Amino acid sequence: MIERWALVSGLKGDLDTYELIQKDLKKTPGNITLFVLGDMIGPEKNCNRLLHRLINPKSNDLQPWCIYGWWEEQILLESGYRGDQRAEALRINKGEEVVKSLTNAVDKSFLDWIAALQFGFVELDCGLIHGSSKDVGENLTLDTPPLTLLDRLTRLQVNRLFTARSTQQFHLELTEGILNSEVHDLTGNHKKEQKVPQKAVIGVGAGKNYTLYDVGTDNTQFLRAGYQSEKKTKGFGLHF
Amino acid sequence: MNQAVISCLHANLPAVEAVLKDIELQGITNITCLGDLVGYGPQPNEVIELIRDKQIPTCQGCWDEDVIDGLDACDCSYPSQLAEKRGHFAHQWTTNKLTKENKDYLANLPYSIRKDKCLFVHGSPNSQHEYLLPDMDAFAALERVENARAEILFCGHTHQPYIRELADGLIAVKIKNAVPKDTQEKEIQLPMRRIVNAGSVGEPRHGGTKATYVVYNDVTNEVKIREVEYDIELTCKAIIDAGLPPIFAWRLKNGFEFAEQAEDASHVCER
Repeated sequence: MIERWALVSGLKGDLDTYELIQKDLKKTPGNITLFVLGDMIGPEKNCNRLLHRLINPKSNDLQPWCIYGWWEEQILLESGYRGDQRAEALRINKGEEVVKSLTNAVDKSFLDWIAALQFGFVELDCGLIHGSSKDVGENLTLDTPPLTLLDRLTRLQVNRLFTARSTQQFHLELTEGILNSEVHDLTGNHKKEQKVPQKAVIGVGAGKNYTLYDVGTDNTQFLRAGYQSEKKTKGFGLHF
Repeated sequence: MNQAVISCLHANLPAVEAVLKDIELQGITNITCLGDLVGYGPQPNEVIELIRDKQIPTCQGCWDEDVIDGLDACDCSYPSQLAEKRGHFAHQWTTNKLTKENKDYLANLPYSIRKDKCLFVHGSPNSQHEYLLPDMDAFAALERVENARAEILFCGHTHQPYIRELADGLIAVKIKNAVPKDTQEKEIQLPMRRIVNAGSVGEPRHGGTKATYVVYNDVTNEVKIREVEYDIELTCKAIIDAGLPPIFAWRLKNGFEFAEQAEDASHVCER
C-alpha cells in the first residue's frame, strides 16, 4: 500500500475548505496520514466550528494530526499562556482591532487544546513544522539562502523539512554541499572536509492549497482542494 | 594594527591583571572584551572596575546577563545537577556581592559590538548562551557568521581558544516540481569566513592552567592565541576565603577540562 502524507495549513477557521480537503483525500489512493501544520485559527472568521471538528473528527474523517502555528502562538501569548508576554508583534503590525478579532474568533474553551499542541513532528527523517526550527514565525521560501535552509534542517537533525508559514508551495532540494574547515587551537591544526547528503525543504501551501507527499518515492504533489471535482466540470488538467 | 580580544574573565583579578600586562607589553592599546566579567571567581567588583577604568569596550556575557535578569538559562547549561547547584550558588554569591553601580554597568552592556568586518559577541550572534565549539557542524558555524553579516566572528563562552577558517564551500540546489514544470538547478559558492574564540582569561578549559586571549592584526588578518601565566594560588586562596565551592579553585589549579556547558553545543536556551 502506498503511504502518503497530506500536509495542510492556514485554514484559519475555514471549515468548508477543510471539508473539501477531507473529501479529496477520501478519493486519493493509498494510506493517507493527515497533518495540519498550524494556523488553524485566524482573525477573519469564527474558528470554533473548525476547531470542534479537528478535535472531534466525524467517523469517516481522516484523523488530523495538528501542530501550532503563528496565529495559535499569538492567541496563546495574548491569553497569558506564555508568561508575561503578550502578542505585541501582532499588535504592532496589525493593530489592536486584529488582536481583538483573533481573541473573539476562538472560544476560550479551546485554548487548553491549542496550548497542548506540539511545535512540530519528526516522522522518519522528516521534520513537519509551521515556520522553521528556529522560530514558528520564520518564513522559509525559495529565496531563503541555502545556508539558512541547511541550518534549519540541521537544528532538527532531519533530511526533509516541511514548512507552511510562507504559504508557498515548493520543493527545493539541496543536492550537494561541501565546506572545508580548518581549526587551529593550542594542540595544532585540524583540517576537515564536510559534506552534506541530499536534503530538501518543502513548502506545503495554505488554505485550499495543500501538498501530498509520497513517503516511498519522495515525490510531492501540490494540489488545490476541490480542483478534482472542478476538473470534471470544466475540463482542466491536474495542476501537479 | 594589532588588537587584543579577551573573554570570560570570571572575577579572577590576578588573571585579568596578568593578561592586561601582557597586552601592554606588546604595545597593544585596542582591546575588546567579550563578557562574562563575573561568575565562579571571587573578585567580581574588582574585575568590573578594572575594565571600566580602562574603558575597554565590552559585550554582555551570559553570567553578566543572568546576575541582572535572574537565572533564566535552562537546566541544559549544566552537565549535572551538582554542577547546576554549584552554579546557582555562585550566581547568588555574585549577585549579593556586586555593587549597584556595577550591576547597572553589566545591565547596560551591549549584546554585540561591530567594527567594520568584525563582529564581537559572547556566545553566538543568536544568544549569549549558545556555544560555538570548534567541532560544531561547519555549515551551521558558517551560517552564524554569514547571517550576522560579518567576515570574522569573535566569540568566547566555550573557554577553549581556537581559530576556525571555513572556506571553499559550495551548495547545489534544485527546484523540483516547479511551476512552470521546468526544473531549475544552481550552484552557490559560499564565502570564506572565520570564527575566532578568545578562550578564557579567568577560567581556562583548554587542558592547561594558563589564561588565554587572542591578538588579531587587521592588516594581515593574522590571529594568534596567547597563553599567559598568572598567580593561580592567589585566586584559589581568594575562592576558598570567599566561601565559594572549593572545586572552582581545584579546577583552576589542575587545569582540568571541566566545562560546565550544555552537551548539545548548538542548543539555545528557551527564555
